[in-house]
Amino acid sequence: MRNRTAIGLVAFVLAAASVLATGASARTQADPLTIYAAASLTEVFKTYDRTQRYSFGASNTLETQIRNGAPADVFASAAPLNTQRLYTAGLVDKPVTFTSNRLVLIVPRSNPAGLQSIYDLRRKPVKLVVAGVAVPVGAYTRTVLRKMGLATVLSKVVSQESDVKAVTGKVALGQGDAGFVYATDARAVSDLVTVIRIPAWAQPRVRYEIAVVSKSSNKTAAQEWIKTLLSAKGQAALREAGFLPLPKASS
Amino acid sequence: MLLFLLLPVVAVFLRVPPGELFSALGSSAALDAIVVTAETNAIAMALLLGFGTPAAYWISTRRGGLRDVVVTLVELPLVLPPAVAGIGLLVVFGRVGLLGETVTALGVDIAFTKVAVILAVAFVASPFYLRTAVAAFEGVDPTLPAAARTLGAGSGGVFLRIMLPLAGGGLGAGAALAFARGIGEFGATIMFAGSLQGVTQTLSLAIYEQFDIDFEVALAISALLIVISAVVLFSVKLMTRWRSESASLTPFAASTRPPS
Repeated sequence: MRNRTAIGLVAFVLAAASVLATGASARTQADPLTIYAAASLTEVFKTYDRTQRYSFGASNTLETQIRNGAPADVFASAAPLNTQRLYTAGLVDKPVTFTSNRLVLIVPRSNPAGLQSIYDLRRKPVKLVVAGVAVPVGAYTRTVLRKMGLATVLSKVVSQESDVKAVTGKVALGQGDAGFVYATDARAVSDLVTVIRIPAWAQPRVRYEIAVVSKSSNKTAAQEWIKTLLSAKGQAALREAGFLPLPKASS
Repeated sequence: MLLFLLLPVVAVFLRVPPGELFSALGSSAALDAIVVTAETNAIAMALLLGFGTPAAYWISTRRGGLRDVVVTLVELPLVLPPAVAGIGLLVVFGRVGLLGETVTALGVDIAFTKVAVILAVAFVASPFYLRTAVAAFEGVDPTLPAAARTLGAGSGGVFLRIMLPLAGGGLGAGAALAFARGIGEFGATIMFAGSLQGVTQTLSLAIYEQFDIDFEVALAISALLIVISAVVLFSVKLMTRWRSESASLTPFAASTRPPS
């Protein structure tokens, strides 16, 4: 960190923002936690616990924000890479895996490109939407394509979106012909899209990690929140939303 | 207050040495974004000047309620959040939008192409030009076109030989402001055109993407945009000065009265 002035200014703006935000929610009895979470967790976290403050986005974007001093208490990432990098940098406490997911290919209900299987991506002209390679779902997408021997269809990508919700939106609106998202994102727009499954053998190992942010002023509550998420109650909420149980061994 | 406005701008240049900033601009993401931005903005500006100038002139010759309604409509994109512009463009020009099927039937592919970027840029930049252009035409001493008419000039001649040169400074200033807004376009583009390096990824979109990937490249592109914006603003100042000078150089204003 070479420039303290710039960081100070960012901190000032963030502090001002958090003061405003606190003022707005002054009526709740306990101070809500500020939870930075992967975009794919949007629906499930909001239903699971409505009393906290959330900032949803691509895990890599949230990582950068935390690196720059964002006032988060908890960071829930869609890939271990982002939590581990922050852990190595001493910015979060030891991360734990808390859930899993799988990828699907979604097409608009009208299916303009006429896709029936993933392999049609190779045969037909198609406007394919994926997330950028730094975004967890974007990296998982490339793993799937590589495993299926379909890496060449990346030449049909018309847009590299900044998070999984942007991919979902572009396909749900019918702008894109197809996009790779998590099964849980497809579920959220099930009235607008058709899901094409990806075989189990081609699935990437999707591992969500969560950690307490080291600089959090509310560490006890943050640890408590994570503990509940790992408990039967939290896991049931995740499974109900379509997330998968914890993978047994992580390699 | 001044410090608050100035610091973020200056800090972009302080964080990384200028040499590294310059070499970061040589990365493929930055170079591609420069090309995409230049292409799309050049076309958008050409369209804007071509269609916007006569439109602004027409507005400036109207008076009363209709004019106010038209001006308000024209100014609307100026205050609209870019996200609203993005949604609006999608609803009209999206593949399942109002005109989407017509456009597709005509063989024009908008979704995720440069056409989409050009539409987004033109939409958000137009008001900046139109507003200033209308004011520039209205600022021309009305005795001058009137005098030209008494000397036998047709309306086309008045427009080309009197109004355009006299309003030139204002038109230039408007074009510069529109250009500055256009190269900074972000929200409508990312929603409507997507982001793909070398195709639809403009400088602002590249900053957003590189922010997580290579912060130095993001900084370098930011620095470039700051320099361009500063140059644009400075030239607006120069052009506005030229306009006020040319406006005061109206030797006929005092002596010639329009025939009544």
